[in-house]
Amino acid sequence: MTPSLAPRRVILPVIYGIALLIAWEALAHSGAVSRLVLAGPLEIVVAGVRNWSELGFNAGVTLAQALIGAAIGNVAGLLVAICFVHWGFFRRAVFPLAILCEAIPVVAILPVLILWLGNGMAPKIFVAAFLSFFPMLVNAYRGLSNVDEEVRELLYSYSATASQMLWKVRMPAAVPFMFTALKLSACSSMIASLVAEWLASERGLGFLVVYYGQSYRVADIWSAAILSCLISLGLYGITAACERRALSRSSP
Amino acid sequence: MRGPALSLAFEGRRPWHWMGLDIVMLNAFPDEATRVRAATLPAGLYADGIDVVFRRGSHSVQALKDCSLDIPRGSWATLIGASGCGKSTLLRVFADIVKPTAGTALLHGVSPAEARANRIYALVQQGSTMLPWRSIIDNVALGLEISGLPKSTRYARAEEALALVGLKGFEKSLPSELSGGMRQRAAIARALTLRPRFLLMDEPFGALDEITRDRLHFELLRILEETGATLLLVTHSISEAVILSDKVIVMTPRPGRISEIIEVDFGRGRTPDLRGDPRFVQYEAQLRRALHQPA
Ligand SMILES: Nc1ncnc2c1ncn2[C@@H]1O[C@H](COP(=O)(O)OP(=O)(O)OP(=O)(O)O)[C@@H](O)[C@H]1O
Ligand SMILES: [Mg+2]
Repeated sequence: MTPSLAPRRVILPVIYGIALLIAWEALAHSGAVSRLVLAGPLEIVVAGVRNWSELGFNAGVTLAQALIGAAIGNVAGLLVAICFVHWGFFRRAVFPLAILCEAIPVVAILPVLILWLGNGMAPKIFVAAFLSFFPMLVNAYRGLSNVDEEVRELLYSYSATASQMLWKVRMPAAVPFMFTALKLSACSSMIASLVAEWLASERGLGFLVVYYGQSYRVADIWSAAILSCLISLGLYGITAACERRALSRSSP
Repeated sequence: MRGPALSLAFEGRRPWHWMGLDIVMLNAFPDEATRVRAATLPAGLYADGIDVVFRRGSHSVQALKDCSLDIPRGSWATLIGASGCGKSTLLRVFADIVKPTAGTALLHGVSPAEARANRIYALVQQGSTMLPWRSIIDNVALGLEISGLPKSTRYARAEEALALVGLKGFEKSLPSELSGGMRQRAAIARALTLRPRFLLMDEPFGALDEITRDRLHFELLRILEETGATLLLVTHSISEAVILSDKVIVMTPRPGRISEIIEVDFGRGRTPDLRGDPRFVQYEAQLRRALHQPA
């Protein structure tokens, strides 16, 4: 980012954002849309501040589920990808099955998951893990097998072991690919955790949204939704920052 | 080819156990006949009747046909010939990367697979690939890292090798910050850190300017003389072949065969003055004739 571009890259979105908020506020006050459909931004902020402790606690629950799920899903995805790289027969047998599983609409089978896992954190963690697993599997596998033929031959000429190949070549080569998956999972795991709460739960942002919805507290719903949005963005931002740090060495 | 004599001789699996190999080998056999046989094993690079056929589905390419050569230990040979005549393939047979369809290849009397397992050769590849996320010194020290040497030894040897190829000061640079020629020199340094008995080089000087190339030629020869290493080098340059060889192996394509082996009799202690020697021009002319001969 050159210095002369930096202000423009920040200022333009900010100006558009403010204009949008003003238009939104005006629309909410004009009476053209029902209060039950759309709350104004000021009203949403006020609702958020009023419910901050309730929102904070429930957001924490949802975030915890998302993080645990994402961690499990990503680690499992990476481990399976490592197995795929080393055992071709395993990959050929399992990869088609994995793709098939990915097509399962996990939200649609939530009721079954709740029957199996109860209505605590477990099914939410499962859904978040499920949605993080496949992007990591596919991306990590691509990265791990993305080894230049000459590099492979060089390591072979050194009689390198499979684990040396993995740690010294495959893993570093796969890092950019893994970050792609992590960024995907930063957003999807929060959504997964929240959506899984809709059906059966006593805590979490998803539960709050349903609870507010039942009593038509529109501004409160929006405040919960926007909070979840901000958390997702935060997770994404942290991941992207880690990515920049990790990759700054190899791509000057 | 490999009898009990070899399994005895290679009991110690590490290269440094082999330093006094010939003496150990000869003393190990009480009976005269075995001792004579052991002494006559090819200690350099040896190939007999190598065929390489690449298959892809029903389509097959004969890359090498009946290639035989014998490069004594400590001597220098170059492979030269038109593009696609199988020079890299022959080199890669010795590196155990290509398995020959038929024939025997030996390095110091052992198969390429054993030579690789014991790390007695070093390879410089045609592309001089580096790991892009590693600094130059970490790239150059990679082979030693794989062998499990301690970090201080690794770096000391890598720095030494980098200085030798004129890359002092670029230790911390990334491969992407170097020119093609500099990367090629780093790849040469990477091979030299291993202190190999056999140096297998695939067009290692291709991207270098004339002056650097000249300097590196004689630097390489000096190292080879000091270490007694055996050289097999692929080149497209006739003068390079003459400067660097005791034997120039001329190959012809379709299928790749060895058409002629020209002995270059410049001995040891070669200097850049070599180019002024009248024999140098004669060898060049002889080589050019051999290359232009229809197969
Ligand atoms: N892995 C492979 N699979 C199939 N064919 C191959 C393979 N490697 C080489 N060949 C074929 O073998 C022949 C010899 O290739 P090789 O790379 O040894 O040539 P070369 O003499 O090194 O050429 P150059 O001077 O261009 O590097 C070519 O016809 C090539 O197409
Ligand atoms: Mg080649």
